Amino acid sequence: MLVTWWYLYIAARRFADQTLRMASILQRLITPLFSGPPEPPRNKVTVVGVGQVGMACAISILLRDLADELALVDVVEDKLKGEMMDLQHGSLFLKTPKIVADKDYSVSANSRIVVVTAGVRQQEGESRLNLVQRNVNIFKHIVPQIVKYSPDCTIIVVSNPVDVLTYVTWKLSGLPQHRVIGSGTNLDSARFRFLMAEKLGIHPTSFSGWILGEHGDTSVPVWSGTNVAGVNLQRLNPDIGTDDDDENWMETHKMVVNSAYEVIRLKGYTNWAIGLSVADLTESLIRNMNRIHPVSTMVKDMYGISEEVYLSLPCVLNSGGVASVVNMTLTDEEVAQLQASANTLWDIQKDLQDI
Amino acid sequence: MSTKEKLITHVMKDEPIGSRCKVTVVGVGMVGMASAVSILLKDLCDELALVDVMEDKLKGEVMDLQHGALFLKTHKIVGEKDYSATAHSKVVVVTAGARQQEGESRLNLVQRNVNIFKFIIPNIVKYSPHAILLVVSNPVDILTYVAWKLSGFPRHRVIGSGTNLDSARFRHIMGEKFHIHPSSCHGWIIGEHGDSSVPVWSGVNVAGVSLQHLHPKMGIEGDSENWKAVHKQVVDGAYDVIKLKGYTSWAIGMSVADLVESIMKNLHKVHPVSTLVKGMHGVKDEVFLSVPCVLGNSGLTDVINMTLKPEEEKHLVQSAETLWSVQKELTL
Repeated sequence: MLVTWWYLYIAARRFADQTLRMASILQRLITPLFSGPPEPPRNKVTVVGVGQVGMACAISILLRDLADELALVDVVEDKLKGEMMDLQHGSLFLKTPKIVADKDYSVSANSRIVVVTAGVRQQEGESRLNLVQRNVNIFKHIVPQIVKYSPDCTIIVVSNPVDVLTYVTWKLSGLPQHRVIGSGTNLDSARFRFLMAEKLGIHPTSFSGWILGEHGDTSVPVWSGTNVAGVNLQRLNPDIGTDDDDENWMETHKMVVNSAYEVIRLKGYTNWAIGLSVADLTESLIRNMNRIHPVSTMVKDMYGISEEVYLSLPCVLNSGGVASVVNMTLTDEEVAQLQASANTLWDIQKDLQDI
Repeated sequence: MSTKEKLITHVMKDEPIGSRCKVTVVGVGMVGMASAVSILLKDLCDELALVDVMEDKLKGEVMDLQHGALFLKTHKIVGEKDYSATAHSKVVVVTAGARQQEGESRLNLVQRNVNIFKFIIPNIVKYSPHAILLVVSNPVDILTYVAWKLSGFPRHRVIGSGTNLDSARFRHIMGEKFHIHPSSCHGWIIGEHGDSSVPVWSGVNVAGVSLQHLHPKMGIEGDSENWKAVHKQVVDGAYDVIKLKGYTSWAIGMSVADLVESIMKNLHKVHPVSTLVKGMHGVKDEVFLSVPCVLGNSGLTDVINMTLKPEEEKHLVQSAETLWSVQKELTL
């Protein structure tokens, strides 16, 4: 009996010794000078959804050194934890010292930007508009949580159909409209500039061309604005973008519209291009750059549109969100196409339940 | 006159020079694509080529990257089943092959991957006879040996990604313990990239302060801080991530880009990568193991001679013997 007590005493003492010495490498190595509560992050980004698109956004944001903290949120817990660990294992090569993940949205608190990629994605051959009601139901759960923990954030909506879902997010969040952005035709314009630049043998950044309106089948290529070094292409070729064009430039726009379907058919999904495009938007927002991007914003009362729809127009982005919209000079036909997009979208939005 | 001719006047009489720093990634699975995207986002090459046997997947991946060209500084991204698309590469990253299933060890993948390499390596060599090969496929140490044998390249141009990733994982965990960024935590894991890797405790330091001097029991019996568990976490790291998300990609992709950067920019940076270690640390067999090496644009030019404890050297020799026993059974 006494022997048992003696052994217990020795064990307790060894434990106490160990606990005291456990602090010792850290204590002997490092002398703290400032001990207060840790500083909150200044440039925190949250990505909701760790599917292929979410992770492509995450890695692009990380490799561009845009955030000082990255949070990931999803419902599938194992996948979420695995993705977080895989990114953390690369932290030696990154400049984002804190990468966290949780099913609970409290992990997203104090974010400056929240990228929403959650939801179901297009199957082979399926149009974006088909995904609507399924994704609205998911958003009813997600959006209030985001706003609860980051009431001052700017939300970038990526999930499709992006224009409708940006509207839905705006309604569900109660945020002012300039702080809810849809990734919109930022990607379509990037694809357009890539394809046009290839034809001309120059870099995409040297080709100026805008695709506006719906991110999808009825997007509007603004041929009247396409130019290289200020030289307007429509002035060189007045038929550009029409059926009468011998050079069939409108084929390029068709390729842009079909791009996503084509890539999905080949590899099952798209992720890299959209990830890079989201990082591009995030950079303008976080670095307060006032760059102009074609993103989905509230267009009521512009171009004769009377409904509350979100469509892509050239927007000036800075740390407050959408600071302003550029009034593009569009031809009557281009305006008509925008209005047609707006009508298509409103047709869908007006039937949505409880938002 | 076409719109292009009206817009642009071509003035150069000679043939265009083409790319000067081309990188090829063989294999467009998760690791290959993570490597590709990390390389692209770090602006390391002016041309990127992708190769794989699955043609649709390959084409889809190439298109998806090209659609992001506006945001990148790599103007040419190509992808073909045929290796002619890889011609004149400076660095070829090999990620092709079967990957570990949940619970499977890396050594199990050997013969399957040797057969794949017998097709891949001669094709790479044919089109890029002066390239530097960076082998990532597992078991990386054995497959780097296989790539060296099959390619006929000098040993300084055949490098295995080795324990670059293990050391990164170790430094991440160390960083978490001390609340310091991993780049300020120094620790080297050498030897086999896998279950029998060797943590060199004597070298672990922060700002030159040797942690083993502060804590002599580090990594051995009676270590109150249980640093051995840190090494175990590194060894288990891949298995843990595979169990949770099915595969690992991001960390290895970033580690590959880190190595490619040192090569392309001729940095002469020291990395723990897999190289021929016969004659070093008592190793008698022709095997590849990770030791700290200097990487530059000629490849792996020098090896740092670490002062290892007898147990650490014994460990390396044992790893070498295990690898050799597998290698000698291979039909190359």
